[in-house]
Amino acid sequence: MHRDLLIATVIALFGLVSVGAALGETPIKIGVPVGLSGANSVVAPSVVQSAELAVEEINKAGGVLGRNLALEVADDGSGAAGAQKAFDSLVFQKKVDVLISMETSAARNAGLPIVQRGKTPFIYTSFYEGRSCNPYMYVNAWVPEQQVPPIVDQFMAANNAKSFFLIGSDYAFGRGMLQFTRAYIEKKGGKVVGEEYLPMDGTDWTPIISKLRASGADALITSTAGGAPNVTLTKQLRAAGVTMPYGNLAVDEGTAKSMGGDAAGIFISASYVTSIDAPANAKFLAAMKAKFGDELKTPNDLSVPEYEAVYAYKAAVEKAGSTKVDGVIKSLADVAVDGPRGTIKMNKERHAPLTMYLGQVGADGGVKVIKAFKDVDPGDQCPNLK
Amino acid sequence: MTEAEAAISAASRASPRNWRLAGCLVGGALVVAAGPFILDTYSVNILIRGFLYALVALTVDILWGYTGILTFGQAAYFGIGAYATALIFTHVGFEPATILLAVGLALGVPALAGLVVGWLSFYPGSTPLYASVISLAFPIVVTQVIFSGGTFSGSSSGLVGYEAFDLSIEAWFWIVGAALLLAAGAAYAFVKSEMALLLVAIRDNEMRCAYLGIDAPRVKILLTAALATVAGFAGFGYANFSGVVAPEIAGFVFGTELVIYVALGGRGTLLGPLIGTVVIDAASSYLSGDLPYVWQLIVGLVFIVVIVALPNGLTPLLGRLWHAISGQHDRQRRAAPVLESQSMKAAPTTATLEIFGVSKSFGSLKVLEDITLSIVDGELVSLVGPNGAGKTTLMRCISDGRERSSGTVRVNGEDIGGLPPNRVVRLGLGRKFQTAGVFESLTVAECLRIAGTLRDKPSPRRPLHVLRLPEAARAVVETTGLVDSLLRQARLLSHGQKQALELAMVLALEPKIVLLDEPTAGLTNLERRQIGGILRELASRHRLAVILVEHDLDFVREISSRVVVLHQGRIVLDGAVEAVVGSKLIRDIYAGSGHG
Amino acid sequence: MSLLLDVVTTAGVLFAVAMGLLVVFGVLKIINFAHGALLTLGAYAALVTTKLGISAWLAWPLAFVSGGALGLVVERLIVRPLYARPLDAILATWGLGIVISQVITLCFGREVQFARSPLSGTIAILGDTYSVYRLALLGVSMALGLLFAALIEGTRLGLSARAVIMNEDLARGLGIDTRRVRLLTFMIGCGLAALAGALITPLSSVDPNMGVPWLINAFMLVMVAGASFLSLALASLILGGAQVIVSTFVSPILGGMTIVLLAAVVLRLRPAGFGRD
Repeated sequence: MHRDLLIATVIALFGLVSVGAALGETPIKIGVPVGLSGANSVVAPSVVQSAELAVEEINKAGGVLGRNLALEVADDGSGAAGAQKAFDSLVFQKKVDVLISMETSAARNAGLPIVQRGKTPFIYTSFYEGRSCNPYMYVNAWVPEQQVPPIVDQFMAANNAKSFFLIGSDYAFGRGMLQFTRAYIEKKGGKVVGEEYLPMDGTDWTPIISKLRASGADALITSTAGGAPNVTLTKQLRAAGVTMPYGNLAVDEGTAKSMGGDAAGIFISASYVTSIDAPANAKFLAAMKAKFGDELKTPNDLSVPEYEAVYAYKAAVEKAGSTKVDGVIKSLADVAVDGPRGTIKMNKERHAPLTMYLGQVGADGGVKVIKAFKDVDPGDQCPNLK
Repeated sequence: MTEAEAAISAASRASPRNWRLAGCLVGGALVVAAGPFILDTYSVNILIRGFLYALVALTVDILWGYTGILTFGQAAYFGIGAYATALIFTHVGFEPATILLAVGLALGVPALAGLVVGWLSFYPGSTPLYASVISLAFPIVVTQVIFSGGTFSGSSSGLVGYEAFDLSIEAWFWIVGAALLLAAGAAYAFVKSEMALLLVAIRDNEMRCAYLGIDAPRVKILLTAALATVAGFAGFGYANFSGVVAPEIAGFVFGTELVIYVALGGRGTLLGPLIGTVVIDAASSYLSGDLPYVWQLIVGLVFIVVIVALPNGLTPLLGRLWHAISGQHDRQRRAAPVLESQSMKAAPTTATLEIFGVSKSFGSLKVLEDITLSIVDGELVSLVGPNGAGKTTLMRCISDGRERSSGTVRVNGEDIGGLPPNRVVRLGLGRKFQTAGVFESLTVAECLRIAGTLRDKPSPRRPLHVLRLPEAARAVVETTGLVDSLLRQARLLSHGQKQALELAMVLALEPKIVLLDEPTAGLTNLERRQIGGILRELASRHRLAVILVEHDLDFVREISSRVVVLHQGRIVLDGAVEAVVGSKLIRDIYAGSGHG
Repeated sequence: MSLLLDVVTTAGVLFAVAMGLLVVFGVLKIINFAHGALLTLGAYAALVTTKLGISAWLAWPLAFVSGGALGLVVERLIVRPLYARPLDAILATWGLGIVISQVITLCFGREVQFARSPLSGTIAILGDTYSVYRLALLGVSMALGLLFAALIEGTRLGLSARAVIMNEDLARGLGIDTRRVRLLTFMIGCGLAALAGALITPLSSVDPNMGVPWLINAFMLVMVAGASFLSLALASLILGGAQVIVSTFVSPILGGMTIVLLAAVVLRLRPAGFGRD
């Protein structure tokens, strides 16, 4: 009796599965390894929301080549060890067709060998320190050549700043950004009077802040990992009464909003702010509000590129006619996407020219745009990957 | 007796246990060989990492399960090995010469670190808690050092993209799997060897080991360094396979995870930790995508339950279940080791113990005052006196050079100076404690084997087959009937048997001078007579100098050649038996009316 | 001058964090490795007050009570059976710490979050401006230390606790209910741990694993301090001060391991640490 029941159940299940399979073709899987825990966990939810909206909109409009898109999100722990596990799981276990994500440089660097081994296209949607090159990777966010000059120029011109103090998180991004910043400052005739780092997960900035105050610097520029380190550093800076001009190379609008009044006065240089006055942006913001309502995390410079990257992938697959790797990789350089940040094409050595905005955070956490710079060139990022 | 036992010992070499081991190894080899063909790439990937972790878990089990050292630090040696490799490949290059350099550093630096950590953790008087504290501090220091390396060591990013061995994933699986099997086999041989008995002895009763001449801290330090090398080697493999090294692999969180795997698998079983590590790590990788917290929560809960209620882990539980199901008999008949006599070559026949002006004070309290005494071979001296007279303290001052406050002690002509017990014992002195100090987890034969460590170093490869004892020790074993209980665990012996065992152990050292603290306490009449006879023989036939602390005056009168009376820290009488025992002074002292 | 303030305020924070662990170690003679997770629990209690929009000051009693309540359950189920096995107690409480972290993650999510501070701003002190909250924290630590010193010296529970610390068998023989003393002490230790967690959140951030680094430092301080609050205060000042100095003048990264390294060395040279033998 039991055996018959068992056989019947198995046949029924088999039937269900076959029917289900026949109804729809297998979806195109987009892998999103992102820092759900660790330093990036403050911004990760906004990144996932962007991806979800893009996938929903595209599926509603008929999908890509008749197939739906599906998201596979994995936690990379904001670091190298976690990224290995996340990438392994997405590429080899879930067998995704593409990876589209924002991650810390530590995570990205650890994931690239796996991308290489698995021959999976990878669109990196996070701003970073530049010069990371891989035959399978494209980047649609800014690099230092695009982001640093506006802030340094602003401090030198408007605040007459001659001496700068640099603080960062001790990993590829923090060091890379500040290395570029130092070179730029010195090229413009300024001086760097201090450069200090804490490990990515460090939370006690007290000794560094004491050094800052003792240095007599005119201005402060920081480049920590996106998310938690920004908040702890800013909170502790304000608690210690630091009021000098403060340029933050790594903070996004969402994080700034969550800091309450502490973020007021910070200068940022970004490729996206919510106050961008363009129809595409207004449409995007409305759609986000409609989908997520009260749960909406402020769209920001780390999450909007994710939205645009999903559309870029769609365009590339349609141009190539399939999801096969070689065609997609070639097509990604040729497709242009109209999104909240304007028209973006990743055609400069795997990177994209972007419009940058110099802004200052207000008391309510919102960003007021001071200057805009159109289509700033990313420079020579990957000369070997024309 | 010899022939029959020789036959049994030959049979023991082909025992069912060895067949079982061979079976496990062959089974394991089949699994490793077939793995890449049956499993998908992702699983193979996960398992390779799991195998490398299991290699490190084996070292944790040997340290914790067998030697009783709870260590959170094995991850640090693993990380050092991995980082040494990655640093060389990143900054120097990947060629045959640099590969050899990397291997050398991956093995050498952890070994050195192990020596340092061992030296910090194990010293006379250190506690297990302190050793665990150091093992916790070490990985923290290592991760901080890695962080402080800035761009050289990659800091938070770790090191990525260095050139390393480019093998197919199947090749990696076979190589790492084979390495794990070899290591497991070697570990198994090691824990069955005589050397492993030494580790258990140290765990059970470190003081007894010191009084057998064993330098326990040195053994532990060397063990730590050796196992650190193994962990470093696993790190080398990891750096090559994974292509990424991050500070987390050297951290104490990973170190505690290893302890958890070992605990859940079953500490002290080798197979348990091996399987436990591979299974739990694989399960974590699969489940942490879908139910990350619930899985960790379950592991945490099971871990607590295991520690509180099932200290031996889950594998033995499964083992018992298997036996219950299959109805197998638990213990096969093991063959007892062969008993042989062996005496030291050309031992000096004279023994002398000279004590000049020894005093011992605790602050302002004088326990011993100006004790001067000489004892030579052939004498059987009983030290008597009421409680609190200082007898045991005197024993301690004789055997431990650090105890006395002033005065000189010379054992067989050598000044003991400030030597610790394990060095004093090497001068030819043995001490038997009041509460029988044996090794509870070892069998009688194993206890005796370890007792002979000074004369005959335990083998790290061969298990115990032949037990060589000097004449005196063998006489004790045979007279008291211990010879029939060679395979019985020491904790199961009766009080009298334990006393006899400890005496035999002390005699296994072939000391010329033997100190015995209340050897008849708790013995039956028969046992007392046996011991009395043995002690008399030791003095008269074997020409040892025997010194007893005793309360039983009848016993004293029967066997002693000389009696020394201690009262309130001073020697008040020293002479022939009849003169002392019959004296009024003794009666007064014991009645309590003696002067102060 | 601000260096001096950094040193004393850091010492104050360390003291507050380590107090709960010391109380448990002194009386029960076990190390509560769930201390870090209890710290995290208290921090999330502070987060809850922020989310509910109620006064941030209420975080402190809320944290203390939740810690104590958890301590009640834990002592009966986990600590009591392991009284004779101190090394196993370390492991079991570490497992407990994992369980607490995971439950917190399930309830609150794994991302980093932030709690409001009851005090903000700076104050001019000794010719320098300094964070009001850090100074207030120093004051709170000292007050807590004095409070507990008074409790130990002045109350019956304190007397019983001191007896148990010195010789538990004798205390039991004299009629002191040692089980109750151990239970109450453990609850207080857990409550203190949670309170410390609520105290430190305004300085940084809240995430499910924030307690772990604090656990290690607190553990080393307690090992070095022995069993008295005074020696703990001394240890916090000396080792905490060393940490600040190394962080400021050498590197913040090396500063992070100063306490651990110094404590290990001190214990090697003088096993009694800063306490009396």
